[in-house]
Amino acid sequence: MKRQSVLLSVLLLLALLVSACTSAATPAATPTASPIVMTDGLGRTVTLAQPAQRVVSLAPSNTEILFAVGAGSQVVGRDNFSNYPPEALELPGLGDFMGFSIEQIVALNPDLVLLAEIHPPELVKSLEDAGLTVYYLKNPLAMEEMYPMLITVGEERPTVFYEIDGTDPSKPWTTGSGTFIDTLLEMAKAENVGRAMDSQYGQMSIEALLAADPDFILLGDANFGVTPEQVAARPGWGELTAVKEGRVLPFNDDLASRPGPRLVDGLEELARLLHGVTLP
Amino acid sequence: MKGRTVHPIWIALAALLAALLLSMLVGSVSLSLVDMARVVAARLSGGEIGADLRVADTILFSLRLPRTALVALTGSALAVSGAAYQGLFRNPLADPYLIGVASGAGLGAVIVLSLRWGYDVAGLLAVPLASFSGAVLTVLMVVSLARVGRSLPVTNLLLAGVAVNSFAGALTSFLLLRSTGELRRAIAWLMGGSSMGGWQPVLAVLPYWLIGLGILMTMGHALNVMQFGDEQAQQLGLPVETTRWIIIGVSSLATAAAVSFTGIIGFVGLIVPHLLRLLVGGDYRRLLPLSLLGGAAFLLLADVLARIVMTPQELPVGIITALTGTPFFLWILRRSRSLPYWS
Amino acid sequence: MLEVLHLTVRYGAKPVLKDVSFRLADGEILAVIGPNGAGKSTLVRALSGILPPECGSIRYDGRDLCALSVQERARLIAVVPQARSLPAGFTAWQVVSLGRTPYLNWLGQLSPADEELIWEAMRRTDTQHLAHRLVGELSGGELQRLLLARAMVQATPVMLLDEPTTHLDLQYQIGLLNQMVEVVRQPIAGNGNGKAHQPAALVVLHDLYLVARYADRVLLLVDGCVQAYGTSAEVLRPQLLSEAFGIPLEVMRSPNGKYPLVVPLMA
Repeated sequence: MKRQSVLLSVLLLLALLVSACTSAATPAATPTASPIVMTDGLGRTVTLAQPAQRVVSLAPSNTEILFAVGAGSQVVGRDNFSNYPPEALELPGLGDFMGFSIEQIVALNPDLVLLAEIHPPELVKSLEDAGLTVYYLKNPLAMEEMYPMLITVGEERPTVFYEIDGTDPSKPWTTGSGTFIDTLLEMAKAENVGRAMDSQYGQMSIEALLAADPDFILLGDANFGVTPEQVAARPGWGELTAVKEGRVLPFNDDLASRPGPRLVDGLEELARLLHGVTLP
Repeated sequence: MKGRTVHPIWIALAALLAALLLSMLVGSVSLSLVDMARVVAARLSGGEIGADLRVADTILFSLRLPRTALVALTGSALAVSGAAYQGLFRNPLADPYLIGVASGAGLGAVIVLSLRWGYDVAGLLAVPLASFSGAVLTVLMVVSLARVGRSLPVTNLLLAGVAVNSFAGALTSFLLLRSTGELRRAIAWLMGGSSMGGWQPVLAVLPYWLIGLGILMTMGHALNVMQFGDEQAQQLGLPVETTRWIIIGVSSLATAAAVSFTGIIGFVGLIVPHLLRLLVGGDYRRLLPLSLLGGAAFLLLADVLARIVMTPQELPVGIITALTGTPFFLWILRRSRSLPYWS
Repeated sequence: MLEVLHLTVRYGAKPVLKDVSFRLADGEILAVIGPNGAGKSTLVRALSGILPPECGSIRYDGRDLCALSVQERARLIAVVPQARSLPAGFTAWQVVSLGRTPYLNWLGQLSPADEELIWEAMRRTDTQHLAHRLVGELSGGELQRLLLARAMVQATPVMLLDEPTTHLDLQYQIGLLNQMVEVVRQPIAGNGNGKAHQPAALVVLHDLYLVARYADRVLLLVDGCVQAYGTSAEVLRPQLLSEAFGIPLEVMRSPNGKYPLVVPLMA
């Protein structure tokens, strides 16, 4: 009797071993759009066929930013210490610096696993060996570099006009592309109408503004005492949809004009204002 | 007496098979047996793995199987080395780390970790390579401190081992204090547990395991003879010094290779031979092969526990062996007072 | 024939054996006597290869023993040590079987001929009934007989016995030495090399009253030097012995008149 069960176990093990040596035939993936190719913080080339729909974040900083940029619905798993925003707590915790359960990560079938500087390279290797796509975000402020991996095409993005200075109401100052504020807006999934300008900082005429008719007007000069009521009173401005529908919002310029820890606060503020995501 | 040699081996083999199966079946994700059977069938028939089975396939073959192999190799290497050292030093407290493998491996790993190697093929190999080199160099240092001409007196080995171990340990602690960045990673490595997955560690360890354990398996008779002391062993025709060099050499190789990938896992080399001695006696011709099987089974079971006891978090397996090993050891101590294995 | 010529052995700087020469013919029993520290045990260790000689030679049938490998030497010289601190977990049978080590392969596998030899040695030393008992349970006398059986099984032309009667009761001392004599007179079936000559035995003895009864020749060692070497009649002389041992000794005749008896002279 003992011999029989031993024999059975040997057979089962042999089956496992032999099948390990045979390579599994996986169905070929059919590429739809052109793949997204990026270089992560460790110099690795990371390729995604399309923006990630299922993201696992293994660091609290990354989790926060993901939710702040509105990609929270795409997050399917987190590390045990990711507790902000509270929505994150509903996601399965997959471990912490003492060790992650690679099996559970694999079981979630993610498109992308986000790591941060606190993770050792061995973890990257282990995840790679399990067939997962890993992106190592060394510097959280470089989040915008990997933004293309997160945005999904076809989503509605509100148009925004960010006023830096409205002293001359016929030609308010705004930012073009490539500035910090512009980047933030991009990360917050908003269309910066100022991009129509060539320069990074410039004045946009009120006519152009009327033509663009942004969904939102953010008052970056609110700290200097500019209020939505004042803006509404400006000649010609009353025609703007944003003014008519009360979407002229003050914005704390400090949060957006310099890189620093309050960057995330800026993002949160933008998300709250633009998308109505409440982040207490 | 001849008939008895059959049964313990079969029991040990059965235990090992059970442990191997358990290691494959258990993890922080529970897979249904049906899914597992389907995956195995799909692989064997060379067919396509459907999308629904991909997770099970990855977990079984990319995660659990290589890990099972590595843990089994490590457990057997540690147990056989422990048994051989207990015979060589004629001391029940001997374990594979006596003459520097663990302290050297730890120092090598921590040195590299505090250099903050980059992530690339060389960078990832650096830690196991450094810990292997550290282990081997440390043993060489102990041996050259201990030797007297061509002979290797046991007392000298023990003393040199203690001295070098504490020196290497002190250096390691100093480096840990200095490099705050990699501290977490270094401590996790030192506590034991396979942080590197995949088949590379298994393939790297395998040649040392084959050579080391292959030779050690033939040392049973020599170890028996050596229990009578160096003098009587030599008078009976055993080349004592050569035997000692060989055992230390191959044992260090096998243990260093295993420890370089799994970190320092304690108690296996100490407990498993004692447990087996209680069951089958002190004949090393039986004890060594049984330690091979038993050590692998023991560490596999500990690894399974490490995976499920605080799921999804994984404990370093070194903690499990220490926690379960200590009560075992005390129980053996109580029982062995009535058993004459050590005079 | 074992030939020892001008053997000098040192422990570090201190010479322990100085210019020791003697012969041991096949079938002969040589008793080595002397006070403590004379170098008797050192002589055994030097002959068995544990201590390398500083100068001098040890030859058997012309072959220089120091030029032999450990294994070859073990096929020529077997040692019966004192039965002290033997590993407790071995059975008696296993202890005796280790005597075959010089003839076994690296794995230590015993052939049926080996096993037959082991059983015969245990029968001749009256230990076969202890075969499956553990060493830790046996008495000093039983262990000493086991060690004699082990040396028998080693089937060497020369056997060295290092104070085998120490710690034994008188009846066991007599018994052991009787068995030793019997081994020498009737050698156990050989190791397959075809030689059937009688082995020679060198036995270190503390107890002077046993010497004459069992030894053909006697070697008196004092401070590492050979003080006397010859038959018992020649060496066991009151003047010689009193000087060597530092107390007045008298040599008398045994009651049956056959053997000289050495006794201390009581004042």
